[in-house]
Amino acid sequence: MSQKRAVVALNVPARAQKVYYLGEQLDVLPNVYEPSDDTYLLVDAALNVVRPTDSVLEVGTGCGLIAKIVARVARSVIATDINPQAVANATLNGVDVIHGDLFANLNRRFDLVIFNPPYLPTHSDMSSDWLTRAWDGGPSGREVITRFLSQVDKHLTDRGRVLISISSITGYREVTERMKARFEIVRTLAERKAFFETLYVILGVEARALSERQ
Amino acid sequence: MKSELLNILCCPVCKGPLVLEVESEEAGEIIKGTFYCAVCNVYYPIDEGIPNLLPPELR
Repeated sequence: MSQKRAVVALNVPARAQKVYYLGEQLDVLPNVYEPSDDTYLLVDAALNVVRPTDSVLEVGTGCGLIAKIVARVARSVIATDINPQAVANATLNGVDVIHGDLFANLNRRFDLVIFNPPYLPTHSDMSSDWLTRAWDGGPSGREVITRFLSQVDKHLTDRGRVLISISSITGYREVTERMKARFEIVRTLAERKAFFETLYVILGVEARALSERQ
Repeated sequence: MKSELLNILCCPVCKGPLVLEVESEEAGEIIKGTFYCAVCNVYYPIDEGIPNLLPPELR
């Protein structure tokens, strides 16, 4: 164990929780989004989509659960998060993570971009605490998703695919319409009814990815 | 931070290349250092192995 890992381990607060999924054990630190139904729905779908040759980017990785599990299949996985505690958390869980906003600091393209975005509508001004920002999608619930979709093209390879999770509260039709304007194929890969909402995982496939296959 | 990550990183503001300066390194991982963007004249810190590439106004 390197000295750095030892130091990080010592800094794990007593309040850290353990989360177990598909044989992985992860720590979840305070002020980091705790993996929930949407996380599990998205990682299950990602495992159906990811190829061994894929370079993968997970945006907004939180504690790093999806990145860590997808890394068992993919050629490479990099993650980002805007929340400094999440970045420390994903590092602790062994994920290569960069502290940044969406993909603002990445100059490379990826075969698969996975994002469990903040998707719930609120009246806040988006400047609240980090945990709130993990689910706060602004007044429409789609502010971060819209920003993500307007930038993601520049970060997809010729075989690029995008996988995002949303809720019925986010506006299923609004998000899928926006994705259809950008991607050749848009498919709902998973759907799960929760207490007061329905969760969806939506796949977008670049037109270039299709012509390659023909 | 693994030093290979440098190849995929750019300045979040101008998208230009970054210059890496390592202060301490361990087993191929950069523990402490900075990324510098000469165009924006901004330093981005690497602390405890974690690169912080938020634009200055978002930190």
